[in-house]
Amino acid sequence: MNATAVPGEPAATGDALVSVRNVTMIYGGGTVALKDATLDIEQGEFVSLIGPSGCGKTTLLRLLADLIEPSSGTISIGGKSPAEARRDRSYGYVFQAPTLMEWRTVLANVMLPLEVMGFPREERQRRAEAMLALVGLDKFADKYPWQLSGGMQQRVSIARALSFDPQLLYMDEPFGALDEITRENLNLELLRLWRETGKTVIFVTHSIPEAVFLSTRIVVMTPRPGKIETVIPVDLPQPRDFETRETSRFFEIATEVREALRKGHGYEVEV
Amino acid sequence: MSRFDPEARRMSLADNEVTRWLLFGIVFMAVWEVAAAAYDAPFLLPGPSRIFAEFTRAPQLIMINAWITTQEIVLGFLIGSALAMLAALVLLVVPRWLEDFIFRAVITLNSIPFVALASLVVVWLGANTIASKVAIAGLYAFFALVYFAHKEMLSTDPLKEELLTSYNASFGQRVRLLKLPSALPVIFTSLKGAAMAAVNGAIVGELFGAFQGLGFIILDSRYVGNTARVFVAAVLCTLVGWMMLGILAVLERRFVGWHLEMTKQT
Repeated sequence: MNATAVPGEPAATGDALVSVRNVTMIYGGGTVALKDATLDIEQGEFVSLIGPSGCGKTTLLRLLADLIEPSSGTISIGGKSPAEARRDRSYGYVFQAPTLMEWRTVLANVMLPLEVMGFPREERQRRAEAMLALVGLDKFADKYPWQLSGGMQQRVSIARALSFDPQLLYMDEPFGALDEITRENLNLELLRLWRETGKTVIFVTHSIPEAVFLSTRIVVMTPRPGKIETVIPVDLPQPRDFETRETSRFFEIATEVREALRKGHGYEVEV
Repeated sequence: MSRFDPEARRMSLADNEVTRWLLFGIVFMAVWEVAAAAYDAPFLLPGPSRIFAEFTRAPQLIMINAWITTQEIVLGFLIGSALAMLAALVLLVVPRWLEDFIFRAVITLNSIPFVALASLVVVWLGANTIASKVAIAGLYAFFALVYFAHKEMLSTDPLKEELLTSYNASFGQRVRLLKLPSALPVIFTSLKGAAMAAVNGAIVGELFGAFQGLGFIILDSRYVGNTARVFVAAVLCTLVGWMMLGILAVLERRFVGWHLEMTKQT
């Protein structure tokens, strides 16, 4: 399917922040992880990639981050190749696990990218403190990660990804390992961060409610081979809150996502 | 408060490490003293009082020799450990085939009985210098550390490696900010092993050929049937080892205190 023909997909004008053109990823063993993916993402969007295991959603994110290279096709990020974008530190990556350095305090963890990138010492401290305040963890600056709950650890990881003020925030199922209550709270907090920072967020998930609640657009992906099935715009008004989840429009969009997943035999996801 | 309340038990006298060692030492020496008196064969098993008396017969001679051995141990440990850390780091940057080759060489060397290696080193570097003993102690320490240090720096969390890739970190930053700190708990454990190995190495070296040092005292006293003095030398070796373990424990608390806390908590 040509993704540019899908309603809700902006026309491929070439000036999108992220532009993916006919990207295919075949791993060493011959597995087609992603087939002929085409997608444009505009500045300031919150785009979710949703689908069951093996649909290529994490592969797509890793391709954008230049952690792997595509077998064919082109990717451009702000007019640059993913490798250049990575060298220019244009994205912050939040993994499924918090991936914090156990030997560093919470504050020192948030300062880690700033240290790598050569920010002056006072600047590191100032930015890291501001980021911790942004995620509501300023009182835990001197704690170690393993003294924090899983949800708090993931918030530290988000603060770290934002500390060097990248244009893009890539998030790979960041709340997948957390309980439902913590997850809903963090969803709300993430939306607030997105509004306040104006970042472009690309968010991998296998949860339909999470995708609908967070996104401005949802990219539905299906497995065997991994491909983009369709792109669904989410026109729920901003700012969203807990009541958004109870509106009829929320359920309509969730149903639309569910049916798209079913159409592509991808209906093996959390509901 | 119950007699079996764990909190109450923890608050008893034996709650700090030093006190517990002292208590152990006193009990151990008392049992030894009583056992030696009952066995009544001082030539075979002298008690602590007899060993101490033997020490006081020639304290200066014994301490001079102990100092020589201590120097061999400490120098050997420092040089061996430093070279092991250097080798572990170099192995991270060399091409894969060379790393494989060097590692096989290390394993091969490691499987030669150390005693055989030690006798060769004495032949090469001479019996009448401390250099040969430093070399043997260093060799022992090197092998006790290099394998674990390298393996641990090689097997860092792949997600953390990717995180640094996303920051476009240099190799040096990767080592300084990830590989070294995450390997440090295991490195400290191995350093303690390396210290013990260096003690063994120095004594083995002296047994193979020396005219001074605690190893020489052991050899010499055994020939003349002075078992008590063999014990004096053995006790002093143990004390040198303990001193090194104590220093390492302090450094460990200073540098990987987070790990001690973390493992205590989980």
